[in-house]
Amino acid sequence: MPAYYLEALTVTLGLLLLLAEAFVSSKSKAWVGVAAAIGLVFILAFTPFAIGPDASPGSGWAKWTLWNFYQFDPLSRFYKVFALVTTILVVLLAIDYRKILARYTDHPGSENGTGEFYALPVLACSGMMWLASAKDLAGAFVALELVTVTFYILVAFMRRNVGSLEAGVKYLILGALSTGFLVYGIAWVYGSTGTMDLDLIAGMLEDGRSASIPLTGLLFGIALVMVGLGFKIGAVPMQVWIPDVYQGAPTPTTAFLSVGSKASGFILMIHFLEPFLSSELTRGPVLKLIGVLSIATLLFGNLAAIPQTNFKRLLGYSSIAHAGFLLLALASGAPGTDNGLGSAQVVSVYLATYLLMTLGVFFILAQVRIQRDGESITDFNGLGQTNPTLALALTVLLAALAGVPLTAGFIGKFLVFQLAVNAGLWAAIGVAFIAAAAGFYYYLNVVRAMWWVQPGQKAHVTLPLISKACVAVLTIATLVFGIWPQPILALLK
Amino acid sequence: MPSYLFWLFSTIMLIGGCAVIAFRNPVSSAMSVVTCFVGLAGLFIGLSAFFVGVIQILVYTGAVMVLFLFIIMLLDLTDEQKRAKGFAPLAAGLSLVIAFLVQLIGILSNTPDKVAPPLDAATLAGAATHFSQGGIATALKDGRLPDVQLIGQTLFTGYNLPLQILGVLLLVATVGVVALSKKQAE
Repeated sequence: MPAYYLEALTVTLGLLLLLAEAFVSSKSKAWVGVAAAIGLVFILAFTPFAIGPDASPGSGWAKWTLWNFYQFDPLSRFYKVFALVTTILVVLLAIDYRKILARYTDHPGSENGTGEFYALPVLACSGMMWLASAKDLAGAFVALELVTVTFYILVAFMRRNVGSLEAGVKYLILGALSTGFLVYGIAWVYGSTGTMDLDLIAGMLEDGRSASIPLTGLLFGIALVMVGLGFKIGAVPMQVWIPDVYQGAPTPTTAFLSVGSKASGFILMIHFLEPFLSSELTRGPVLKLIGVLSIATLLFGNLAAIPQTNFKRLLGYSSIAHAGFLLLALASGAPGTDNGLGSAQVVSVYLATYLLMTLGVFFILAQVRIQRDGESITDFNGLGQTNPTLALALTVLLAALAGVPLTAGFIGKFLVFQLAVNAGLWAAIGVAFIAAAAGFYYYLNVVRAMWWVQPGQKAHVTLPLISKACVAVLTIATLVFGIWPQPILALLK
Repeated sequence: MPSYLFWLFSTIMLIGGCAVIAFRNPVSSAMSVVTCFVGLAGLFIGLSAFFVGVIQILVYTGAVMVLFLFIIMLLDLTDEQKRAKGFAPLAAGLSLVIAFLVQLIGILSNTPDKVAPPLDAATLAGAATHFSQGGIATALKDGRLPDVQLIGQTLFTGYNLPLQILGVLLLVATVGVVALSKKQAE
């Protein structure tokens, strides 16, 4: 099956859901979410059979001009699976969150306005899957905008909630600014090299034609594109939007932003930097730029997270902090070899573990928000006494986010440190150690609230069926991959 | 394009762009956007992108912005309240802009100027070799610029996939506008 069928199927699923949602008269809209999740699982089952043009050079579709904009390798497949899994979990999270959604969309008593909230993530997912195959800056830009525009809507979706609207406006304005930087950067890269095709750029930088490239202009273009992508992944100093938008947006959107949007930013960054990291002309300055970004992001994300009292905001800072570790892996600039993992693979493994832990935490946070009507750390008080199983799961997930050994979070951090040590980035390693130590403090602060503080008058929290199943699967996966990460590594081979 | 025309249209664009944010009346702001787009259209035409320039006037200036004006007038928006601005945010914004400009000037002075080939009959005939027989090749050989056909050819053959993705993007934007602005049911 040609790989582009995956996106086509996803878009079709999104369109069908929009249509069905509009024409089926049903009081509850939860079935749209269930249908979306089932459809995405169906598409996920097709990913192992997707092939690129190299696997079947004789067939007619392999000669289409489409392949100028679309590449398919194990890394693309990995990020397509990543986008699908994230979207499935986000849609499931939205089903259990629909009470709050209904309260702030149409009439508080009905779910009339919530149907699109299940269909739009599917369309965003197709954009993320196209980004995973990005090969040309024009095509990548269009796919990135599809993802971003969908997020503008999803962030402001609770339109009768001031916080959500404020987050939506902030995200729209800063997102538009970042798009401006990105387009301006692409224009400079195009002006310097004369092409937007990343393969052609790589070819030009390698052979004798590189003398004709104005290097200052090209580096300026790369820096501007990095500013634009820095917004997407939440790298300092382009992180200003994260805490407010994460706090104001509906919780499923926040989860989608912190996992899906970040991952698509990183895969685009990996594809974009590939030609520039393999050329001696640009490698040094680009690595230096990522290194500085990573140090600033590690420091800011972790230190600013310490005084936070709102758990959702804390997760926003935590997502900045994790972006710092991911940038550190990129800053090592290790090319992938047959035996060892390169920077791109380590980033992918880290993101996969990050997906498990973060989405698990968001599932629990969403229910605490609904049942205790609050998102601050004090709302987790005494959870260990009222619902010990849930508290245990959250403890495991938070420990994994902090990077405690024997959890998946440790594997990710370990691989990043290994790369950084091999590359000899000692200053960044020092900062990363401080950052990891700070991480222990602010994650375990929540654990302390759960086990060592009395619940007081707080309501009892129980998970509904879907959330319970998802949290169980994600927590167990966090533990299993912490001891046995081979399945994730096999996906990247 | 003669350089004085470039500077003229760029100045019009910049003045229009600054006026958008400087005016407090929404109608004046919308008219400034129109000014900005007219300057942009002039730049496009100066770069021999005649079709894009005309479309810029017809679609953006003529249709989109007029629609904007109608909506602003229908909503009967009043002037934006004058807000007290602190010195610090203004200084921070200005210093960022100045830093960016200084960097830009430094890089532009380091980058060699490239001269675009003139768009004469010889260049056009040379470009005809890229196309097999057809309307485009004939027009190019005759020394005409079939820019509408060229844009169509590029969009619907080479750049077909991005075009399809743009279609999905427009659909998402439409759905979003409806979902976010729907009148609340009682």
